[in-house]
Amino acid sequence: MSLTVTNLTKTFTTHGGEVHALHDVSFSVKTGEFASIIGKSGSGKSTLLSMLGALDIPTSGQIEVDDVDIAKLSAHNQTAYRSKKIGFVFQHYNLIPNLSALENVMLALEFGGAPSKDRKDRAAELLAEVGLEPDQQKRKPSRLSGGQQQRVSIARALANHPAVILADEPTGNLDSETGKKIFDLLHNLSRSENTTIIAVTHDLDIAGKTDRTFKLQDGKIVKA
Amino acid sequence: MNVVTRGIRNALRSPVRSGAIIIMLAISIGLIVAMLVARASVNTKIDEVKSSTATTVTISPAGIRGGMGGGDPLTAEQISTITNTANIKSTVSTLTDQLGTDDTNLTPSLELGSFGQRQQRFEGGGNSSGTMPQPPADEGQSGASTSAQRTMPTPRTSITGTTDPNSAATNGSVLTITSGAMIDGKGDTTTALVGKSLAEKNSLSPGSTFTAYGKTFTVSGIYDAGNVFENNGLIMPLATLQNLTEQAGAVTSVIATVDSSDNVASTVSTLKTRLGDKADVTSQQEQAASSVSSLQSISTLATTGVIGATVAAAAIVLLTTTMIVRERRREIGVIKAIGGTNTKVIGQFITEAITLTVLGGIIGLTFGVLASGSITQSLVSNQATNNANSQQRGMGGPSGVIRGGARAVQENVRSVSATVKPETFFGAIGITILIAIIGSAVPAWLIARVRPAEVLRTE
Ligand SMILES: Nc1ncnc2c1ncn2[C@@H]1O[C@H](COP(=O)(O)OP(=O)(O)O)[C@@H](O)[C@H]1O
Ligand SMILES: [Mg+2]
Repeated sequence: MSLTVTNLTKTFTTHGGEVHALHDVSFSVKTGEFASIIGKSGSGKSTLLSMLGALDIPTSGQIEVDDVDIAKLSAHNQTAYRSKKIGFVFQHYNLIPNLSALENVMLALEFGGAPSKDRKDRAAELLAEVGLEPDQQKRKPSRLSGGQQQRVSIARALANHPAVILADEPTGNLDSETGKKIFDLLHNLSRSENTTIIAVTHDLDIAGKTDRTFKLQDGKIVKA
Repeated sequence: MNVVTRGIRNALRSPVRSGAIIIMLAISIGLIVAMLVARASVNTKIDEVKSSTATTVTISPAGIRGGMGGGDPLTAEQISTITNTANIKSTVSTLTDQLGTDDTNLTPSLELGSFGQRQQRFEGGGNSSGTMPQPPADEGQSGASTSAQRTMPTPRTSITGTTDPNSAATNGSVLTITSGAMIDGKGDTTTALVGKSLAEKNSLSPGSTFTAYGKTFTVSGIYDAGNVFENNGLIMPLATLQNLTEQAGAVTSVIATVDSSDNVASTVSTLKTRLGDKADVTSQQEQAASSVSSLQSISTLATTGVIGATVAAAAIVLLTTTMIVRERRREIGVIKAIGGTNTKVIGQFITEAITLTVLGGIIGLTFGVLASGSITQSLVSNQATNNANSQQRGMGGPSGVIRGGARAVQENVRSVSATVKPETFFGAIGITILIAIIGSAVPAWLIARVRPAEVLRTE
């Protein structure tokens, strides 16, 4: 088992009272599996990903990744966990605007602790793998299309051989054709690299092609 | 690529904004440098003025000022009281007199003019030292003629007997001897120093002789005290003048040097109590204080300027970096989400702030150093002029020596020159770094508070 979630609860305290974003969620995903999470807006999908990616701490419950409970990590170890074990792919790509595609990938390699002399070659290799031409690799994100930017962000997510890639609506900003290509890219990678992928999506076509689909509703898993 | 190169690159991310910030910083830092330089130069001057004038105390007999007025000279007993007062390191005693034409064969170099005639008209009828040598009395005209004849007023030669001839110098230091040799003021020889104008008028040179009080004097040297009045004088050993004028031990002015400037005030008050109302005790410190106070106000002004400009520059950096952090909040979240530590993100922003500050600093330091000379000069000359004007009006009290001293101080005060000392320069660099640190501290705190989970929120 690569990832096991047990009785996960996340409650936000706001001015308007308590918001139960996640309520007693339990599930598990095997190594190399491609799982999708579907559900209405506000059902808790992003909150779940942020718990899995150690971006936030659960109110209660456990998240075990390779037998380590990441809910109990110190802030410093959380950061280390994010840099080595997790790869994020965001709906809005979230590349650093003043760094080239290559430098964006090199940044992740730096945080993952790759030796500085190896970073450039490894980044170029990763970008080639996701289908970015050498001249495109030197461009800043503003000079790349949405699909190309998302490819860069996938290369960045893969940089440190993560255990899990977490993707929050990775095709949400793309036309359906490009979205499909990005999805295929993720799918192939999960096979070839044997990386676990958990992707949030609205596209039921896409969800239907994944190994497993979870449906969230009001912070609870209603269909596994 | 690392934190530092990313920070530097980010500093130049939007050239127009960075340029504007750098210029604002350069102005502030330039101001800081100029003010620091002005302050250091002025403070150096203050110390100089204080140390050169701070330790002398002048004691003159009550009612007598530079050979004028009335009363009794100081006695030998009073002199020993002064010499024995604690903290007094050394004393210079001076007795002044004036030679009329029957006391000497010298011709005064000063014309009386209308001022001199008015001064002397009160004495015209008298028959003392001021009268002209009487022409040989004719037969038949004897008797009444002498008292009836009103003698013409004549200029006189001022004569100074002193234990230290250098005390006659108007610049407060050493008397300039243009030819010949100095005399020993502590001796009782019949040698004298002759003022430049008086020597010219009487064709005297070192080795020449002249008569005074019926004695033959040898000219030891010619001096130039720097003004016409003083140069119409004679300087001889104190004891010589005391003996010739039959005033053994009498002195009309004592300049005492106190061991430290901190003891001047207490010494003045001790002397005042001991000598009672027989003598007036004044210190140059009081005189110098007013001149120094104008410099001190410049120094204070400069300090205020330094603080103001520092605050302004720190505020610029602070606002800029805060603005940048707010603008790049999402980017900061992303860096954290993909595994960047707080230290790395903060380091990157501090590098960015330092880059901007250093660029502003280089420009500011250069212009500040270049402008510091004229800024110091204009600060000082404005102040000194104001001060000189107000001083001139209030003058009249202190003795000639002090007047000369105060004038010298006044001249001195105007001649502040701006010098950029290494410590001033490094001080400015230190302040610049301080600005960058203060300006980065708040943004750093803001950065640490950015939650990486925010990047998943898409509203
Ligand atoms: N930081 C937060 N503070 C308060 N409420 C939050 C926060 N993050 C998420 N929520 C709330 O939790 C619920 C789930 O949000 P989210 O996980 O973003 O939903 P989804 O991604 O499925 O649209 C929503 O009601 C949302 O308003
Ligand atoms: Mg969401």
